[in-house]
Amino acid sequence: MGQSRTLQVAAGLGAILAWIIIWAWLTRPGGPVPTLYFPAPDDVWAKFVRMWQRPYIGSTLPDHILASLYIVLTGWGLAALVGIPLGIAMAWWKRLKWIVFPTFQLIRPVPPLAWIPLTILWLGIGDSARISVVFIAALVPWLMNSMLAVYSVDRLLLDAARTLGANDRQILARVVCRTALPTLVAAARMALGNAWSTLVAAEILAATAGLGYVAVNASQLLDTDVLLVAMFMIGILGICMTGLIGLTQNWLAPWSVLGARRD
Amino acid sequence: MIERRLERMGVMTDRGKAAAYGIFSLSVLLALWICATSLFQWIEPRVLPSPAQVIRQFAWIITEPFSGLRLPGHILFSLERWGWGVLTAGLVGIPVGVFFAWNPWFKTFLNPVFELIHFIPPFAYIPLAVLWFGASTATQAMVVFVAAFPAIVINSQLGVAQVQKIYIDAARVFGASPFRTLCRVVLPAAAPSIYTGLRIAISNGWMALVGAELVVGKVGLGFMIAQGQENASVATIFVGVITIGCLGVLIDTLVQRSERYVLPWRRVAS
Amino acid sequence: MEQSAGKMAPGTTNPAQEAPAKLELRNISKWFGPVGEGVHAVDDCSIEVKNGEFIVVVGPSGCGKSTLMTVGAGLEAPTHGEVLVDGRPAGPPGPTRSVVFQKFALFPSETVEQNIKFGLQMTGVSAAEQETRLAEQLKIMGLELFRKSYPSELSGGMQQRVAIARALVMQPEILLMDEPFGALDAQTRTILQEEVQRLHREKHYTVLFITHSVEEAVYLGDRVVVMTKRPGRIKKVIDLPRDVVWKTGDIELAAEHPEFIEFRREIWGLVREEIVSI
Ligand SMILES: Nc1ncnc2c1ncn2[C@@H]1O[C@H](COP(=O)(O)OP(=O)(O)OP(=O)(O)O)[C@@H](O)[C@H]1O
Ligand SMILES: [Mg+2]
Repeated sequence: MGQSRTLQVAAGLGAILAWIIIWAWLTRPGGPVPTLYFPAPDDVWAKFVRMWQRPYIGSTLPDHILASLYIVLTGWGLAALVGIPLGIAMAWWKRLKWIVFPTFQLIRPVPPLAWIPLTILWLGIGDSARISVVFIAALVPWLMNSMLAVYSVDRLLLDAARTLGANDRQILARVVCRTALPTLVAAARMALGNAWSTLVAAEILAATAGLGYVAVNASQLLDTDVLLVAMFMIGILGICMTGLIGLTQNWLAPWSVLGARRD
Repeated sequence: MIERRLERMGVMTDRGKAAAYGIFSLSVLLALWICATSLFQWIEPRVLPSPAQVIRQFAWIITEPFSGLRLPGHILFSLERWGWGVLTAGLVGIPVGVFFAWNPWFKTFLNPVFELIHFIPPFAYIPLAVLWFGASTATQAMVVFVAAFPAIVINSQLGVAQVQKIYIDAARVFGASPFRTLCRVVLPAAAPSIYTGLRIAISNGWMALVGAELVVGKVGLGFMIAQGQENASVATIFVGVITIGCLGVLIDTLVQRSERYVLPWRRVAS
Repeated sequence: MEQSAGKMAPGTTNPAQEAPAKLELRNISKWFGPVGEGVHAVDDCSIEVKNGEFIVVVGPSGCGKSTLMTVGAGLEAPTHGEVLVDGRPAGPPGPTRSVVFQKFALFPSETVEQNIKFGLQMTGVSAAEQETRLAEQLKIMGLELFRKSYPSELSGGMQQRVAIARALVMQPEILLMDEPFGALDAQTRTILQEEVQRLHREKHYTVLFITHSVEEAVYLGDRVVVMTKRPGRIKKVIDLPRDVVWKTGDIELAAEHPEFIEFRREIWGLVREEIVSI
């Protein structure tokens, strides 16, 4: 087990290396791919180092990153504050669901991005427009998965809890919410993924800082290397954030990461 | 997809009551909207148009060309771009996903590229696509592709990986070659999961398309919304948003309904 | 003393003569779905479980045994009939009627000890008392080494023991057990059968026990109720002798006793008729 794991990691790293070599070979001077369309890896790296210190369109790279993170985490967090309790409550009290769900269903099929023009008209191009779009994007997975988490609690467990003398409140707090935790962790990741992706688009459309803003400017200025730096940063930050959420599952819901028995 | 699962769990009972509550709450909402706009003008029409204005705008866009095209024209352009993106994603994604599960080395090698597509949000590809293809159909199709591709790969892979080993072993015992095992046993068993992947991909692609159209292009529904913002015409934005939402629901419903014809053996299961 | 109190005479209990049954299922019928259209699981079943009595229900698979049990526990309302505890309507489920579910129903998010203590915590038993009772159950069930494990880390047999411990720890007046030994290996099953037999003799638990093992029924039961195939009705009630030697010893020896063999043959004959007549 341990050995095959090391082998896997080694193979994974090897594959990454192989692709970087292929990339370098394709974009070498006089190579088949012109660097205007796709810059060489060393150019991208040099640009990355440079942007870390020197401002590009107004801010250094860390500042752009912070600007993006601020918006995405605010929108995502606010959506969690609304989505989790509302989702659980809607699953638990069906009357509430009957009242709220139709409205929600009406809004849900609209891609979160389609709200951008509206929020810009209503709130201007400041942070609040982007935060509210991110909020809408994150709310759907938070709410739907919180509901699903409650529904997927085995009815037998509720029966068992009742025969052991638990009342409704105790069942909700101890059985439903705890059993639902792994699903909520998954919801958190999904919500963050949606939020992050929506934020990038929002920044492309209306922002004064942030990675999406860097990307769209780089594209207009034909700074392909900057564009790639921005894209990589967007990808890496996304991975880091979802990875961190994944780690919380270990201590939030240790039972769910044990690996199922095969019998 | 989630709703289907909810339904299977028997949550969607009490239909009548649910509908009554729903109609009530939606009516309240509509009444509030009418009060706030037409009746008492709490909110300026510039900020929130009245239902009547939105309907009028709808009629206008259907009958009169808006930026050169009537509403159906914009819809067709959007659908075309979306179709190309999803189609390529399916043609490439299903084989890739199946082989990811079938051959670990293939997966190890291609994984870095896949993760790049998976983890960089589709919208981050918009500037690159613009740079590569300019304002052509390919730009939007590429964004749709990036949005649709990962879901297809992941679900195809999952479907194949989840095929219980006993089926494969059973096929082996009966002397089937790996390729025939793949075609006869694995793919049919994985098909529901692949189908789920396609469904997710189709709706992801639709979402991404709107984003792409907001940024580039001179036609399409996303462009219409962007144009509404430009002209500070909230009614136009509403028309666009409603059309996009309805089309999204329509497409999803069609795909969902078609499952029983495409995968007849699933009919028993659900 | 209650050896011959096996008459199935619903509605004719005479309070002057006998105390009301600890648990009485009176004319229970259960339909899943609309009456006449859905599944008719149980039809007009009446079972009286006297205080300290051990009643075993046997019947073919799918005949409505589990349904009868969920109704008896108060988890499902019967379509017709009523459930009485001490002669009064039983009301909602609660810790006086502990249930061991056929499918364990352990809380996946709780460790073994949290699972066992669950009911005690819900009903406000003091912490010290919780620990003593927990320790006792862990010991009886041989779970001491697994107290910090999650259910998903346990074998099926272990999980079943946790489920039994979780019910016993409540010291319920009535214990409802739905095929509690079905998932166990033969050795553990034998040991737990003897353990349950001992508990019943020493602590006089009132038990309604479901099984499809005729041997288990003969060994454990004071009375055995044989059910027909679905819709489950009561086919026959067989009184078993209570204070005989073979019931106090281990089950292997009991199985060789002529009386045991005779009862087993009789009950198995009744059950077989139901299975064959499908
Ligand atoms: N919730 C339910 N909804 C619909 N039908 C049900 C439900 N629960 C049980 N049934 C049906 O009622 C019948 C009796 O089920 P039950 O589980 O009581 O049988 P059983 O005697 O316990 O069987 P086994 O020995 O296999 O455990 C079965 O036909 C089953 O399909
Ligand atoms: Mg059963």
